[in-house]
Amino acid sequence: MISLNGYLIISFCLFLAGMTVMIARKNIIAILLGVELILNAAALNFAAYTRFVNQNLDGHVMSLFIIVIAAAEAAVGLAIVIRFFQIKETIHIDDATELQS
Amino acid sequence: MALNYLASISHYVPELILCLTMAGLILIESAYDRGVKGSAKGMMYWGAYLGLLCSFVYLFKALGTEPLQIFTRSIVIDSFGTLAKMIMVLGTAGAIFLGRQSLDIYEEVKSEFVILTIGVLIGGMLLVSANNMLLFYIGIETLSILSYVMASLKKNDERSSEAGLKYSLYGGVTAGLMLFGMSHIFGVLGTIQFTEIIPAMAALTKAQALVLMPAFLLFFVGIGYKIACVPFHMWSPDVYEGSPLPVTNFFSIVPKIAGIVAFVRVTNTFFGGDASIVRETWVVLLMIASALTMTVGNVAAIGQRSVKRMLAYSSISHAGVMMLGVLVIDDLGARAILFYAVTYLFMTLAAFFITSFVQDHYGNDHFERFNGLMKKHPLMSIVMVIVMFSLAGLPPLSGFVAKFNILAAVVSKKYYVLAVIAALNSVVSLYYYMKVVRLMVFKDAESDEPVKGFIFSNQVVITVIALPVLLLGVFWEKLIVIAGGAKIFLQ
Repeated sequence: MISLNGYLIISFCLFLAGMTVMIARKNIIAILLGVELILNAAALNFAAYTRFVNQNLDGHVMSLFIIVIAAAEAAVGLAIVIRFFQIKETIHIDDATELQS
Repeated sequence: MALNYLASISHYVPELILCLTMAGLILIESAYDRGVKGSAKGMMYWGAYLGLLCSFVYLFKALGTEPLQIFTRSIVIDSFGTLAKMIMVLGTAGAIFLGRQSLDIYEEVKSEFVILTIGVLIGGMLLVSANNMLLFYIGIETLSILSYVMASLKKNDERSSEAGLKYSLYGGVTAGLMLFGMSHIFGVLGTIQFTEIIPAMAALTKAQALVLMPAFLLFFVGIGYKIACVPFHMWSPDVYEGSPLPVTNFFSIVPKIAGIVAFVRVTNTFFGGDASIVRETWVVLLMIASALTMTVGNVAAIGQRSVKRMLAYSSISHAGVMMLGVLVIDDLGARAILFYAVTYLFMTLAAFFITSFVQDHYGNDHFERFNGLMKKHPLMSIVMVIVMFSLAGLPPLSGFVAKFNILAAVVSKKYYVLAVIAALNSVVSLYYYMKVVRLMVFKDAESDEPVKGFIFSNQVVITVIALPVLLLGVFWEKLIVIAGGAKIFLQ
């Protein structure tokens, strides 16, 4: 059986991967993917802690809500990206330079 | 005291009214096609005002009652949250009024603007009354996700969609970091319930508590982003500038006040217990963040050309001042924050209203557009002067009383350096607020043509909004008593 530490290490790796993607990639879609990785790391943590530390349902409910809200956030984020693409015809984050003082 | 579900609903009427209002407005909006939308517009606005009014009345009735935990202790109804909700409802009503008049929002998305503001308001109300981490997260995301849409409301405008893009990327990242922090707090303390955190923290050893510190830091990222405190403020000037002006007005009131109030609740419920190493570290962290927020906001505001961007930076520095009330972690600070929020609401609304009408008339909101306003519109200029003095914190206006309260709370904890920094910042801010006053009074106007937006009814509304700025500076005892009675529910 996998111990709690196993889950925590995996989720931390997911978290690091997400951070790396967000910092290193310049593609907006890739950044949104990085956000999803971080959210999944948190959801995995919640599920693991509920299983091993306290036996009530709080953590499971948190994980379910994280999945739902992440989907909503991704939908809105992608809609805005599409709008941005239609105007500028690029999804490179470095091209978002209109608003710099 | 916990209640069952059916009994809980009767204490949750204000939010339910707003949910129904929002649903009703969506129905009205979809029932009319483009051709007859003109007649639907009036219905939209009056429906929204009616819903806000009913909600306000119910909130007013709930003020001063015993604190309650409803919906299996996930939501807490206390006077502190109720007063904050009343402030937010007023701010939303003001934003909707401005949204109707402003030319900065396309005519065909004005009804969407109304619906979205009420949605953000519901999110803010959830956030300020959240009693566990789940509700806190849902509240902050309801607030944020709808805000992303509002920021990019000017669909075909490059700047507006870029503002929405930046807002949503920053928002997604910080929400993820906050959740990761929450998950470790949950793992170590074994609870997501705010009221159980102080006892759980007291049971930890010193080493265990220190391990929690990074988790609290991550949690702070989520809230700090929402109130735009340094170093998570990078999105704020860009989003405020790119969004249409009524949206900027709305952003600098409702999400900001909701964030600050939720921050007070979180800090008090997490660290309200005995002095510990975690609490000390947290306070030092907040001290640095608030001092930086005040200073960066003020210094950056000096060089701006656009009044809207200047107001955006000044709202960052005001958030810094409000954070001073958070870090004292006591009732005095909470009282000062509520008072500050009330005065901030009226000052910001009046300043943005006037800026909006000037911008609609001239096409941009550069400082020079205010030249000679005194000769053309004496009443509006006097209101603007009062608001600017009050924002800078000069006596005898309400901005002074608000700042004084915050500083009193800080000094009572013997954080003298912070008080000095706040006072110096007040002086710096005087410079750019006075710039507007100087241009209005001493410069000559380019033309004698009156500003179109300042029709009689608008002048009346702006004057009425600005009256509390003047009155609260003199008759502040009553509001202080109300705010002092609005205690935070701890356990």
